Amino acid sequence: MLIWFLPVFLVFLLIGFPVVFGLVFAPGILLYLNGQERDIALLYRNVYTGMDSFPLMAIPFFMLAGELMNRGGITMRLVEFSQALMGHLRGGLAHVNILSSMLFAGLSGSAVADTSALGSMLIPAMEKQGYTRRFAAAITAASSVIGPIIPPSGIMIIYAYVMGESVAALFLAGIVPGVLVGVGLMLMVKVMADKYDFPVASAKTTWGERGQASLRAFFPLMTPVIILGGILGGVFTPTEAAAVAAAYALIIGLFVLKTLKLREIPDVLMRASMTSAIVLLLVGAAMAFKTVVSLSHAPEQLAAAILGLSDNPLILLFLINILLFIVGMFLDAGPAIIILGPILGPIFTSMGVDPVHFAIIMSVNLTVGLATPPMGLVLFVASSVSGERVETIARAILPFLAVEVLVIFLITYVPAISMTIPRLAGFVN
Amino acid sequence: MALLLGLLAPFQLFNTHVLRVGRGIAVVCMGLMVVIILTQVFFRYVLNDALNWPDEAARFLMLWMTGLIAPTAFRRGGFVSIDMFLRMLPRAMGALVSLALLCTSLLVLVVAMKLGMNHVNSGCLFNSATLRVPFTLHLAFPVPFTDLSATICTKDDYAFSFEWGWTRLKLAHMYASIYVGIILLTIVNIELILRSFISLSGQSDRLPLLTTDVPAGAE
Repeated sequence: MLIWFLPVFLVFLLIGFPVVFGLVFAPGILLYLNGQERDIALLYRNVYTGMDSFPLMAIPFFMLAGELMNRGGITMRLVEFSQALMGHLRGGLAHVNILSSMLFAGLSGSAVADTSALGSMLIPAMEKQGYTRRFAAAITAASSVIGPIIPPSGIMIIYAYVMGESVAALFLAGIVPGVLVGVGLMLMVKVMADKYDFPVASAKTTWGERGQASLRAFFPLMTPVIILGGILGGVFTPTEAAAVAAAYALIIGLFVLKTLKLREIPDVLMRASMTSAIVLLLVGAAMAFKTVVSLSHAPEQLAAAILGLSDNPLILLFLINILLFIVGMFLDAGPAIIILGPILGPIFTSMGVDPVHFAIIMSVNLTVGLATPPMGLVLFVASSVSGERVETIARAILPFLAVEVLVIFLITYVPAISMTIPRLAGFVN
Repeated sequence: MALLLGLLAPFQLFNTHVLRVGRGIAVVCMGLMVVIILTQVFFRYVLNDALNWPDEAARFLMLWMTGLIAPTAFRRGGFVSIDMFLRMLPRAMGALVSLALLCTSLLVLVVAMKLGMNHVNSGCLFNSATLRVPFTLHLAFPVPFTDLSATICTKDDYAFSFEWGWTRLKLAHMYASIYVGIILLTIVNIELILRSFISLSGQSDRLPLLTTDVPAGAE
């Protein structure tokens, strides 16, 4: 009977019940009806112990680092650097938009922060150069999904914690897929630029000018080096690396670029705290939910049902891609990972799919979902930044979504894309 | 209607002011967390002397930060949900379903409050492994309109005193973070239910506006 908590949860989720309450309500009510009232107290304790975790503290720190970088004028330096490298190409500003997103991804790991920070700067600039507003908004939204794929990444920290994987392994596994999405989008822009005669953004820069732009962007560009270098070099844990990143962003904003004001800091801390609290409560509730998932033997029964469809892992991964893509259309990546990770993860790892590989399939799939209609979060952010309607951006983004879907399939069926770097670094056998 | 507006006023006043204090404390907690973790790194790598308390201290602060600011996020509509179905419904029906969902949330929170008290009390039996504080707080006060007493690790019905002297922190003080958060969430939930009733009766123009500025999640 206990397995019925999954459909009950799904129904409540679909009618608009807050996910955090649904994650404890559905199992709680079934435990009560099952006569397991004492386990409801266990549910509460698991919410608490799920949140009381040192590795999980990386989330508030990365949120804080992202907020500080958004306010600290770092985005401007990244755009200038990207323009020096790619502004002379046909469709230059579209390429600049994508490259800036890839660089921004190494600092913040948030697609929403990427869309709002880069969009507010690049969408008006692209419009001024003759691009349509819907195209500018669409490329901003499409490229922002690189944010949570290239490390650091909030959703990968959540996945690693909920599923007991190594944060460093997931971070490393995300590098090539993130770059691949960026390169794929650039190729699509090139095809469109040739076809529609997009403008170039600026004259070709000299090596001296490129060097100057690199120097101006040096401090922001060092952030991923500090984070990944610190973690891989054994200097910091991911949590400590996140705290160092936050302090580094503060110092750059206050003293190096001098674009951050002391009076802005309480608001930055408040926004980071609020976002973190929402995520931490969700993770705590997910850990309680995960306990009941195990008690109910749901993964075993679902595995049997899924294996009944086919015993070929490639076909099943294809079906999972479709499922995750649909889920991503309606639910944000973080909650979707929290809900589906404990259910789907064990099924596929028991079929021989490496847990890190599955984590990347799931993360990239759900992250691309952030840019898919009707509920894609970054579409709404791009709409509010650009003033263009969500439906219009949703149509303009379709060619870029096609590229991202292609990359998802590549990542799914060529494990080496995500597994090579963590394997070389010794995080995966 | 006047009754509903009268009922709403104290909840609104409480949530406006108490949650503001909560946000202030959460901001301090967040700042201190960064300082503590950087101190940990500094002592370990520069002074070659690993401290044992920063891990637990930072977790203590993170839990209190969450408990104190999550109610603000809930009040501002920041808890993640799929609202597509609600938006597809006719306005009145959507409002009714919303109200039903808020009542279900209240049920969850009330059960969590009951379980939370037991959880906090269980924490009185255990001390923190590393955190020491210079005083012991004896706190117990009667809950208005009930025969209950809100206590933390004391058998008295009414107490408020400090006992000076270094002692290890009771885990109850850590457990209380989420319990306090649940109490505040419950009060916010009641305010939202009352607002929902007033909206349903077509008087939403008489409701003061709530801020809806919530940053996005981990995405």
